[in-house]
Amino acid sequence: MAQDKTSSRRAFLRGGAILAAPVAAVALPAVALADQGLQARIRRLEDEAAIRELHRAWLQRVNAGERAALPDATVRRIIWDHAGAPDNIEIAADGRSAVGSFDCAVEVEEPLPKDCTLGQMAHAQGHGSIRRAERRTLRAEYAKDSGTWKISRVDLTTPG
Amino acid sequence: MHRIAYTKLTKEQIAAKLGPVAERGPASVSPLATDFAGESLNVVTDDGPALSYKFSSNSKLSVAENGGRATHAGFGALEMDHICLFTHMIPGTQRGYVVVVDRRSKLATVIELWFSGYEDNREVQRQIYYGYIDGGGQPPKERHAYTDRLEGRGYHWRQDNGTETLEYYPSAGYSHFVELSRTGGELGFSAPSDYLKVDNDFFVYTRTECEFSGAFTAYVIDMNRTQKMGVRLGFDEADNLRYDLFRGRGDIVGQIARFEKFGDYSGDPIPGPKGKDGKPVKGGRRVYRPIKTMEKLTREQVAQIVKEHSTAFPPQTTSGGAAGMGSVNALPASDFLAGKTFTLRYDNGPVMEYQVASADELNWRTDGEGAWTKARYQAYEVAPGLFLMGHLLEGTPNHDGHIMAVDFHQGLVTCYNGFLNTPYFANEAGARTWFGVLEMEGIQPPMYRRHARTTEMLGRCITYSYAPGLTSMHLYSTPNTVSWIIFTPDGHGGMEWSGPGDFVKIRDGIYFMNWREEACNGTLGTVLLNLNIMHDAGIGYHCGTRGGLNMSRIGAVIRHAGKFEVDRYFQIRT
Repeated sequence: MAQDKTSSRRAFLRGGAILAAPVAAVALPAVALADQGLQARIRRLEDEAAIRELHRAWLQRVNAGERAALPDATVRRIIWDHAGAPDNIEIAADGRSAVGSFDCAVEVEEPLPKDCTLGQMAHAQGHGSIRRAERRTLRAEYAKDSGTWKISRVDLTTPG
Repeated sequence: MHRIAYTKLTKEQIAAKLGPVAERGPASVSPLATDFAGESLNVVTDDGPALSYKFSSNSKLSVAENGGRATHAGFGALEMDHICLFTHMIPGTQRGYVVVVDRRSKLATVIELWFSGYEDNREVQRQIYYGYIDGGGQPPKERHAYTDRLEGRGYHWRQDNGTETLEYYPSAGYSHFVELSRTGGELGFSAPSDYLKVDNDFFVYTRTECEFSGAFTAYVIDMNRTQKMGVRLGFDEADNLRYDLFRGRGDIVGQIARFEKFGDYSGDPIPGPKGKDGKPVKGGRRVYRPIKTMEKLTREQVAQIVKEHSTAFPPQTTSGGAAGMGSVNALPASDFLAGKTFTLRYDNGPVMEYQVASADELNWRTDGEGAWTKARYQAYEVAPGLFLMGHLLEGTPNHDGHIMAVDFHQGLVTCYNGFLNTPYFANEAGARTWFGVLEMEGIQPPMYRRHARTTEMLGRCITYSYAPGLTSMHLYSTPNTVSWIIFTPDGHGGMEWSGPGDFVKIRDGIYFMNWREEACNGTLGTVLLNLNIMHDAGIGYHCGTRGGLNMSRIGAVIRHAGKFEVDRYFQIRT
């Protein structure tokens, strides 16, 4: 499936600069807007911006502990790994689906087993779980429905 | 003490014994503090009672709580330097107070005590309030406070009433005590504790002997003079009510490492439960109650469970002792024994013949008789030529397991023979210790030399990290006790418990130890500890409804947290 690769971290920053001036874009002369290639590019950038906003809002819900938003019952926080690989959003050519890939640090909390004495003691003192941070790659699938982007699937994988 | 069947006293029984004591006040061998007659004292506490005292003599007072009607009671007071401790009960109730006053700073800590506040009425409950002496004027802003500053300290205490103890504070929320005068110091026991800072020179310690007599002890420690003054309230094993003030002189027996971040001096690491209003429940505290929660099975139940479900060394096994995640850091199993035939001849035990088929299967028979029995086993090479190995003995009347330290260089073996059907609960493991020799082609076993019991581990504290987030610390508090402390996520010592143990020296720096979780899950834990590589290998032996009878691998990376010098308090040293 042909997809336009529109984003790297650098591309995102560049795109952000463009998106920061939507009013100026509207004010461009009609002759410039007539360029179909430019229109397609603007559409992609708008989609990418919408996906990023969707993604950011979802992360806020995850980090606020909203259970329904958690990709995995053990996940407590997902933090953007600025030292990781550049994130990537690929929008399908038809503009109706997209795939995002983001390196992140995930805080995972898992209960200690209760079938050993130490685990029982840890639970008894109110510390019955262990929390650790792991580097993961978050892969998200997005679908555009009635003009609105939605997250259709999220996977956390260990970077290879 | 964990085998004493303490009476479940009724509220009425407690009230009957408490009445005259409340009128009389506490007993004390040492002279009580004087010059109280005619004095008055108003103690104001944060979120607690306001107590207005009038002292008519050195042993009688009246107290009005929160501006209420004054009640007359017996009391007693002791003083050390600028610190005064006095205590009294409230006649007609099952409540009382211990008040610690700093005459210099005018700060006060009030410990409210009461009986019949838990399902076991004899267990003394406590609530601590911080406050000050109201002498008019601006109230002080400072308060006494919980601290971890005592964590890691150990004392030998000799009290004026003849009580002699070793007391270890390896946790910021629990403590461990050894009664040298009453029990000869055979075993140590653990109890929830409070540690409060009065100032840099004086600290307050409390413990409640939950799961045992329920008695409460509180004392102020003069850190410089190594002296203490305190009070003990509770019923002893004969149900006599003891309400005693005491003084004590001590020796510092050591200071082990603490594991909080530098700069973290906070205390109360395992705060009590909170009510619906979000405030702490009065007297609430988190207490490890293993006797209450452990599964207790009969011989018949154990026999059925063993018949239905016996396993040895399943992959990533999870049951008993420190098992479960306990195998994450374990040493790998060795195939060294595969194909070997040998005999382990124990001096006061059986002669065990082995034909080892593979890295995890062997055949055994006892005393050269009968058919060979197949068993699953594992072995771990803890040091060159030195192995920890274990297997279950199917068909034995008490469902035995053998866990051995076998030295193929020295031709020696020590076995912890785990067994069930012990006197109190049938699923509680017992252990015998057998010394012997290894007979195998190419090995000349010694005739007289054996591994031997040792007190070299006495007083040591070793941390065991079994897996991320699962670390405990062992404290070898007596020649027969293993105590274990778990940590909070920020490195405070948290809950603690203990059981009888055994210690055998295998080589320099290598020790074979066991602990029995008596009245606490019933597990037999064993470790072959190599201080040269700071790692151990261990095997747990456990029987329960969930996991059946099983033998499982444990293992940890270790740290040496320090050593208490307590050898001189025990008669037999090896």
